[in-house]
Amino acid sequence: MVRSLRGRLLEALLPPVAVLLTVGAIGQYFLALEPAKEAYDQALVDVGIALGERIRSSGESVSVDLPGAAEQVLRVDKYDAIYYHVRGPDGDALAGDPGLPAIPASQEPEDGVIAYDGDYRGKKVRVVALLVPCGGRVCAVQVAETTIKRQALARDIVLYSLVPELLITLLTLAIVWFGVQRGLAPLEDLSTEIRARSARDLRPIDPQHAPQEAQPLVGALNQLFRQVAESSGNQQRFLANAAHQLRTPLASLQAHIEIALAQSENALAQDGPEARRADLEQVHRATIRTARLATQLLALARAEPGGYRGDASGPVNLRAVVEDAADEWVHRAMAKEIDLGFELSDAQATGDALLLREALGNLIHNAIEYTPSGGRVTVRTGLRNGSPYLEVEDDGPGIPSAEREQVLERFYRVPGTVGTGSGLGLSIVREIALAHGAVIVIGSGEGTAGTNAGCKVGLTFPRG
Amino acid sequence: MIARVRILIVEDDAALASGIARILEGEGHAIDVMAKGEQAVLAARQERFDMVILDIGLPGMDGFEVLRRLRAAGDRVPVLVLTARDALDDRVHGLDLGADDYMAKPFAMPELAARVRALVRRSQAQTGPKIVHGPLMLDTLARRAQLNGEPLDLAAREWAVLEVLLARVEKIVSKESIIQAVANWGEELTPNAIEVYVSRLRGKLEPSGVRIRTVRGFGYMLEEFKEK
Repeated sequence: MVRSLRGRLLEALLPPVAVLLTVGAIGQYFLALEPAKEAYDQALVDVGIALGERIRSSGESVSVDLPGAAEQVLRVDKYDAIYYHVRGPDGDALAGDPGLPAIPASQEPEDGVIAYDGDYRGKKVRVVALLVPCGGRVCAVQVAETTIKRQALARDIVLYSLVPELLITLLTLAIVWFGVQRGLAPLEDLSTEIRARSARDLRPIDPQHAPQEAQPLVGALNQLFRQVAESSGNQQRFLANAAHQLRTPLASLQAHIEIALAQSENALAQDGPEARRADLEQVHRATIRTARLATQLLALARAEPGGYRGDASGPVNLRAVVEDAADEWVHRAMAKEIDLGFELSDAQATGDALLLREALGNLIHNAIEYTPSGGRVTVRTGLRNGSPYLEVEDDGPGIPSAEREQVLERFYRVPGTVGTGSGLGLSIVREIALAHGAVIVIGSGEGTAGTNAGCKVGLTFPRG
Repeated sequence: MIARVRILIVEDDAALASGIARILEGEGHAIDVMAKGEQAVLAARQERFDMVILDIGLPGMDGFEVLRRLRAAGDRVPVLVLTARDALDDRVHGLDLGADDYMAKPFAMPELAARVRALVRRSQAQTGPKIVHGPLMLDTLARRAQLNGEPLDLAAREWAVLEVLLARVEKIVSKESIIQAVANWGEELTPNAIEVYVSRLRGKLEPSGVRIRTVRGFGYMLEEFKEK
């Protein structure tokens, strides 16, 4: 089975949405954090500049003039401890807290300032360093503060921006989920509607009930429904016809057997043995007719598309099919004084040998049945314009041109026909021809002088 | 002339079994009827039958299985299978593997009797040098032929043609297969030559009740006929 539409939609939507939201959240975090950090750094730089202005120089000596009160002011901060260190041009400590993290040599100054992270007295500190002119030379000022403020800020940013972000993410996922659910609802409704149907309900589905995307599916389903309804109608008619056909010989059987029974009970039977024999012959004929009908119904069921033969197709020489079946028919022909003859050449076709034999049997049966005693029946195989063919010709009464289409229909019999056929033989031949892509042609026989026009039924197969 | 033979009928439909039995008893055969496959396998092991008529649709062990067991036990008794399956059923066609012949139900009793005769004749022909059909007798060892007890004088080629036709009596024998069977090594025979031999044979068999029929475009068939 192809995976569910819901699964496919969710799989396509959820990961990108989740990634987008995550990337957005991370971006927002840094976007909020950077300016705040810069503002804090700037405050430290301001302290450094103030300190730089306190550097006094006279000749070679440099000193920092920082009264205690002023130093107090510099060091005041609500959350963090502030440290500073001023060094003279020769690197000697002038004032402040010695031992602040050294300026990383690799870092280039930005607007005369180098900002970096480090540890001081066991705590993380943020340090800014700036160079200040002093007496024609350069002094270094470092200002550091602990990172309590900064960490609090990062926490706040996470709290105030990421939490809403997360909520938005969850909401989005929920919306996607319900959206998919809602989008697929018409399909669910459609399947509920189909599931609720009975096996006999083959009405088309109303396309109004289906979304546009499902229209091709509904169209295909409706077409299938139509075909099933049609073939089921055919089956119904076929069954009814078959039952009718079976009842006729059965009624005849019943009638004659009941007559015979009544006579055997009646010791004073007026009818002689001739009449009894006539009754028995009727019984015999009706039995043969019923048996043949049962055989033909089965053959028809097998020859139909989707019949029970499966795919037994392979190379078949039509000549061999005839030769194998010849024995069976020669005896019947002889019993009726009919000259059954053969004009056979190799005819290689593709098909199911048993089905072809069945088709041939029906053609020869018809020919023997409808040809009067003393007539001729000829079976031919060979190639005609490169196409293999199988043909049975007789010199019986023939089939009028106007009837030649109809005789292929099931249960159809030419009006006024004698004999006890069921009207199934040629429709079996037609089904088998269809299954082989063969063309049936019904024509008149060559006819011999003084005889009827006769009948010629030919099957022409596709070139091997 | 067929010797009296013993035939086992395995068929669970009592009406059909008794019908077949009556017909075959009328032909002078000894008949045993059994309704179950297991019974039949046992009986065939203990007694000798000249032929078995076997229904496929038996209750319990079916005919396919009975046939399989008979053959597995090395029993070559001729088996005629009866089946309600139609000729388009592949399994029925597969019967060629073990059965000697099969008939689809329903069938005409005279045809059943004819098939039984043919099978019995075939199995007897395999066991002895004498081929007998109606008034005709061919002793293949002594190379003597008799018609109605009178010696029948046959040329070598005529003898060969008659032997081929007798081997497949009441079946069509194609001209090609007669040519193949009759022609000496390296010698070509034309269909016309065969026609000549057949026409001479006809002359010799003519008044006897055995005749050779021509199947137009196909070949010949030897059959016994009774004057009407």
